[in-house]
Amino acid sequence: MTTATSERLVRMLAMVPYLQSNAGLPVADLAATFGVSEAQITKDLSVLMMTGVGEYHGELIDIDLGALERDGVVYLRDADFMPRPLKLTTREASALIVALRTLRQAAAGDQLPAIDGALAKLEGAVGASAPVDVHLPAVDRRIKDTVLSALSRGHQLDLEYVTDARDDRSTRRVDPWRVFTEQGQLYLSAWCHRATDVRTFRLDRIVAAQETGDPVERPVDSAPESEIPAALFTPGPDTPYAVLDLEPEALWLVDAYQADVLDEAVPGRTRVRLYGSDPSWLRRLALRHAGLVHVVEPRDLADAVVAQARAALAAYDG
Amino acid sequence: MAQRKTERLMNLFFLLLASNQYLTKEQIRASIAEYRESGTAAFERKFERDKDELRELGIAIETGSRDAYFDDEVGYRIRRDDAELPDLSFTREEAAVIGLAAQVWDTAGLAGESATAVVKLKSIGVDIDTDAMRMVEPRLSAHEPAFDAVLTAATRRIPVGFGYRRADGTETHREVEPWGLISVRDRWYLGGYDRDRQAPRLFRLSRVTSEVSELGAPGSYEVPEGVNLRDLADALFPPPPTEAAVLRVRAGRAQSLRRTAERSEPVDEQTDRVFVRYASTRVLAGEVVSFGPDVIVESPESLREAVVARLRAAIEEAP
Repeated sequence: MTTATSERLVRMLAMVPYLQSNAGLPVADLAATFGVSEAQITKDLSVLMMTGVGEYHGELIDIDLGALERDGVVYLRDADFMPRPLKLTTREASALIVALRTLRQAAAGDQLPAIDGALAKLEGAVGASAPVDVHLPAVDRRIKDTVLSALSRGHQLDLEYVTDARDDRSTRRVDPWRVFTEQGQLYLSAWCHRATDVRTFRLDRIVAAQETGDPVERPVDSAPESEIPAALFTPGPDTPYAVLDLEPEALWLVDAYQADVLDEAVPGRTRVRLYGSDPSWLRRLALRHAGLVHVVEPRDLADAVVAQARAALAAYDG
Repeated sequence: MAQRKTERLMNLFFLLLASNQYLTKEQIRASIAEYRESGTAAFERKFERDKDELRELGIAIETGSRDAYFDDEVGYRIRRDDAELPDLSFTREEAAVIGLAAQVWDTAGLAGESATAVVKLKSIGVDIDTDAMRMVEPRLSAHEPAFDAVLTAATRRIPVGFGYRRADGTETHREVEPWGLISVRDRWYLGGYDRDRQAPRLFRLSRVTSEVSELGAPGSYEVPEGVNLRDLADALFPPPPTEAAVLRVRAGRAQSLRRTAERSEPVDEQTDRVFVRYASTRVLAGEVVSFGPDVIVESPESLREAVVARLRAAIEEAP
């Protein structure tokens, strides 16, 4: 059976008891609940009306078409034969169990009992453990707990933060907004008082965190949706980049970073355009992989790499 | 076509669920229009396939004799207590974390499954109010085309074969008994028993280059007792540090090295001596070189040599 057909079947069978205990639900809510379009819900409902325990009136599921067309709300009747939902499928249970395990790794200490309780009950209900696991990077527990505590109490945070790209260390006061993961790392997005702007901080680069007693000045819901960063790093026209020739041993950089393989033939090497958040990050990358990564452009970058290497060598030769 | 099939499967399910007794094949055929309108052979084919498809969804169809005295004809039914979700009670906080868990998956992944699971729980009266908890919001996605097939195979214990591109770019064909999937640094890996290598192996799903083909029936193998995917995944992480290095670092520079350093002490106004532990000379040499003249190796000699060699390589790039 195709995945689309089985997904649809599972969804429609879940609707039958749900709509019986939630009479008059708007189609829009139903679409949001299931994460599909309103058109899809309407199609599902039209199929539901063709099904039942028999083929006569009273045996077929009945949906109030007047209410559906007039008010966009759903009244479902004559489905007494299915008052309860089906057991969770293995995939459904896996989805929730894996998500809970992921939450568990990112949670603060006082949130663990609720997660463990939910996990135990779900695993008990399906009688199996999901063959899926997630590994999040380890983060200093004290820092994570401080950040989460300030977040849930709505307190300002004092952070000491290290920026690897520019290699600097700074202290700043922030209003915490969200803690989330992106590409397998934990991040805090917050209103930074020093920058008077939204900033994103990687949790493992926060070297000290102190929860203050001061309530946040700009709560997250005061910010327009557009100000909350969705993805961390999408190259734009102003994003710094370098054109590099990679030896085969350095090809993995294409997978690890934002890079495009260019269509230029260079014998034995691969030419790529690689984006960085900052020119000094690109310089450090070229130095780190010297010999395996050759800078083609920009010229300043090639010059800076050589100048830095000469200055360092002088310290050893001298 | 798909729509008629969905309709037929739903009707078959409802019919078998609502019946208190075993229904014979003929009774089933008489009750569902599409079966009735098919020829006998076509009906048999459809009916067999439909039963399998319901079973794939975890719906157990029981077969038995309709009548204790005339056990010549087999009948079918679905037992309510097998099919239905039993009552589950969650605390307010537990229900809230389940609601938050359901938001973790992206549409490229198990978002649909999360949504239907939550609807089922709400249908049995679980009150999910996600505002009851403020937590980290992790995101899980699965953009790798092989994810679905491999998840199904791991769940149902079906051996699989696929084309696989190794790290050095060579193409291989692998036959694997899947044990499970693990996400590390936002990438999915399949862990399992590699039949050719006769050993446990980890495969990165983004390197699967073909369709995943099933090589056997569900339940073809057992997952060995005590298998832990995290132990397998340990191979993806740097080994624990065994070596010690002493570095001279310009004051206020090389923050990423200082963050993981054991300790540091000032040498003079401009310089600190920083003590770090490491596992790989190559990796630490790269880190040191990336800071240019801001970080100089004092010891050990092997690290110093690796750094100098890499700095010389950088200078050879001079135009």
